[in-house]
This record gives sequence, structure tokens and C-alpha cells, in this order.
Amino acid sequence: MAYKYYKDNRAYIEALLKTGDAIVVNDEVDWDLEMGAIVRRVCEKKSPSPYFKKIKDYPGFEGFGAPIASYRKLAVSLGLDPETPIPAIAKEYLSRTAADKGQKPKILNAKDAPCKEVVWTGDEADLFRLPAPMVHEGDGGRYIGTWHFVVAKDLDTPAINWGMYRQMVFDEKTMVGPVLPFSDMGKMFYNKYAPNNIPMPFATVIGPDPLSAIASCAPAAIPEDEFTSLLMGEPVEVVKCETCDLYVPAHAEIIIEGVIVPNVMIEEAPFGEYTGYRTSPREKRTVYRVTAITMRKNPILPISNMGIPTDEGQLLRSFSLGLEMERMLRDQGIPITGVYMLPESTHHLVVVGVKPAYANIATQIGQLVFGSKLGPWFHLVVVVDDKTDIYSKDELIHNLSTRCHPKNGIIITEQGVGTPLNPYAWPEERKYSRAGKVIFDCLFPPEWPTSMVPIKVSFDNVYPKEIKEKVLSKWNQYGFKD
Amino acid sequence: MAEYDTYILTEFSELKEDEEILGVLRDLAPGTRKYRSTYARFKVSKDAAKYPDRLWVRLGRGQLVPTPCSISVIEFVNVIPKGL
Repeated sequence: MAYKYYKDNRAYIEALLKTGDAIVVNDEVDWDLEMGAIVRRVCEKKSPSPYFKKIKDYPGFEGFGAPIASYRKLAVSLGLDPETPIPAIAKEYLSRTAADKGQKPKILNAKDAPCKEVVWTGDEADLFRLPAPMVHEGDGGRYIGTWHFVVAKDLDTPAINWGMYRQMVFDEKTMVGPVLPFSDMGKMFYNKYAPNNIPMPFATVIGPDPLSAIASCAPAAIPEDEFTSLLMGEPVEVVKCETCDLYVPAHAEIIIEGVIVPNVMIEEAPFGEYTGYRTSPREKRTVYRVTAITMRKNPILPISNMGIPTDEGQLLRSFSLGLEMERMLRDQGIPITGVYMLPESTHHLVVVGVKPAYANIATQIGQLVFGSKLGPWFHLVVVVDDKTDIYSKDELIHNLSTRCHPKNGIIITEQGVGTPLNPYAWPEERKYSRAGKVIFDCLFPPEWPTSMVPIKVSFDNVYPKEIKEKVLSKWNQYGFKD
Repeated sequence: MAEYDTYILTEFSELKEDEEILGVLRDLAPGTRKYRSTYARFKVSKDAAKYPDRLWVRLGRGQLVPTPCSISVIEFVNVIPKGL
């Protein structure tokens, strides 16, 4: 049975307008920095998403900024009430995606696919006909791919991948961006296509429905199109590309088709990145050549503006990375109470709640998550006990400050896999994607006798039940307003 | 006069003047093709009047050098194999 969800970007925008999580901007805005600056400020102030009705130089195009940059918007995208608390959103996500197999996509004919309303091929397929924004001053170019995903297929297996890989417009027919070798598409391209000098077909899906976008960010164990069906409760509708055999969501705003060029790299970046810094320098990176562009009439170009928290990349990656970790740890039989990755950490810090059942359980948790395919994306794991609210930043700071032994409680692994985007990393570490990893063990050692374990002094913990009930029932009577 | 910018991966003091360089130029002419990139062979000078066109220099992470240079473009170069 299908869940409540939005089949396209447009229905989702309408829903956000109704909940007050989006506003219409009727003034003309400039693709050259102005749109980017607006979206950046929206992310920093946690304002409603701007729906831009007029873009300078590009009549007929509209824009939509910060599509899922808050938990309220994430809740709406899943068909939930915007007030749904984070643990309830997480529970819904885990419940929908519990199956280890999804449904195959439903293939539509091109005439029924909105993303085929306009088709440009040959010289018409010119990237400068799209209002790619200059997102931040100093960026290496205009980024057409900020809220999108790239579809690719393995060379010799049926495996497909949807993943968000940023794409900078280089010239009319060329885009460029980083494809890290440990990413799913990186493994396909650098292990199979490039060694055989075979161009790899790709399709960039810009302005997908929100659940396809969420799936493309999720480190799921099943193909992203099937994962989308788990979130939707029914198959995602796709259509075949014009110039290759890939399939793309039929209700997306814009599709860019082409090939990834083997054994040629050109300069890309710098770019304001999800860490909140422009870290990775201008370098030669992976080249995309465009063969066709298809789109809906009056397409709406989404714009994500990465920078200091919170943007949708930080929020969604944190959300899905944390929940995939939770699933993995539960599968391993670890008695966790939950996992929460803080978006404010730019998905670098994760909090794991666990029943401290045996010695060094925190180390075991850290080794499991760092050793998984999720590991390169974060480097800080804080393990707290089962009484701690993993969603509370106050409790996190209190745990770190009081329970984590400054010598025995901080476990450092020097030779982990990282990303080139870590702002703290030295150039050599960036070059080879190396990173140290740290576990903060905030559990009192289980071998301590009960008489030795410090008692947490809190309202909940140190007062008898009848006193707490009395205080709570008379709270307003005492004169308190909260 | 055309106006370009380019990124260098060294300090500005190490910019090679009056030597042929192969690098990427971005066209800063206003309009829908602003920021179009292309590989080119060119010579630059920190003397803003020496060569016919204007060049702004940015460092590897986008830092703009506040004073413009001048540039002479020798030729534009295509680095993508034909047919792709």
C-alpha cells in the first residue's frame, strides 16, 4: 500500500507552502550569487524555502531553494505532520525501509513522462541554456548539480547507482566534479569503465521528487530505485533516457544525459562544501560530456547551498547515515537504544546509546561503524548509556565532560579512511583520503562495583516518584508559566 | 577588452609572468555564458597595462587577488578527445 507522499517536486512545494515551510519570491532574482545568497541565509536562519518565480536571463525557468533543509521539511516529504519529532521521523523511516528488497521501478512511456515535455539534443543540448547558479562567490564555476543525483549502471552487472555527486558547468557540453574512488559510482567507473577506456553513460536527475532524492543520499544496501519504492510504498515511475539505456524518475524537473569520459580530467572547484568550508582546492576531476537535456515545461531548478549548518545535504546524510548505522548495530546484536548523527556536525559526529552490557562495548561499536562502508564519512563516535537522551545536545556535552575518561575513554585510530573534504586534514591526508578516527567512551566501566558508580543528579533520577508527581502536578500552581 | 579570471595553485608571488602557461580561463563577459571555462595557452603580467586583456587571479580556494593582471591569449585548447 502506498504511503502518503509527493510524486514530484511541484506537489512537494505546494505542500511546503501550505505548512508555511516555503514562500513565493515574485521579485526577479539573479542566478549570479543572489539566489545563492538567499538560500545560504535561509539555511543559517532556518527560514522557509524560497520558491523563485523569475530568474534573470532565464524566462520560463523557476527555482526552489533549500528543499529539505530542516526536519520539518523532511517530515513533510515523508507525508508526516511537520511537527513530528525527530525520533518519530526516524522510526517511520526505519519501519518503511525494514525490508531487504524493494519493488522494481514502473517504466512509463516517454509520452507519459513529464520530464520529456521538452527534449534538446545535438547543439540544442547546451548547459548555458539552464540557469545554473553561481552559488558562492569564489566558486570555481556555476553548479548545475546541487540538489540532484547521478544515475549510472555497472559495466558488467545489472547494478545501478543513484548518488549525489556535485557537478560544475565547464562549457556548453561539459560538466566536471569529484567522484571519490570509494563511492559506489567511483567503484563502477574507476574499477571497470576507465581501465577499459569505455565512456560510462550517466543521467543527472535535477529536481527529483523528495523521496527519490532522500534515497539517493541514503547508504542503503539495495539499489536506490528499489529503496525509493520502500519509502513510497509503491514503485517509483521511471522512463528511459533519450541517448542511453539508463532509466530516470519520470516526474523530475530536468534530466541531463551523457557519458563520463575515461582517462581525462579537467579542473573543478573550489566549492563551498558540506563541511561549511571551501576545503578541497581546485583540482583535476571527473569529466561529464552532455548528449541530451530533457525537462518539464517551465522547469523548477532546485538549489542547495552547502555551507555552515544546516543544509539538506548535512541533514539528510546525517539522518540516513545514523539510521543505517542503527540498523547495522542492531543486526549485529549490540544492545543499542538508538543512533543519532548531529546535522550540526556536518555528519562527522554520531551519538550511540547502548546498554553497557560488557567491557569495551564502546570500542566494539566504534570499530563496527568505522569499519563499515559508512565509515569514511565521519570520524567521531560518542557512546553514551541507555539512560541518556541521544538527541539532546546538553546531555551530549554533559556526558563528554563528565563521563569520558581523558585517557582511557578516548580511543584513537590513526589510519582510517576519510574524505578529501575534511577541513582539519593535512594535504597528504586529503590526497589519499586518510583520516584518524576517535571513539569517546562515555560509559562507566561495567566492572565498577555498584557502590562506586556515580549517581546522576537530575530531577528524573534522584527524587521519589510521589515527589516528582506532586511537583509536576503543582508546577503552574507554584507560579511557573512553562 | 575581454575579461577573464583564472585559478592558480601557488601563492600569487610565484605567478610566472611573460611565460607561456597552459591553464583554464573563465570568461567574465556578462550574460548567460558568464563563467564559461576553457583551456588556453596564454601569457600574463602583473602590469595591468602590458597585455591587451584583463585577468583576475584567484588562489586555490577562491581567494581573489585584489589587483588585476593583464593577459594575452595565444590560443584556446580543447582537451576533450574528439567524438566525446
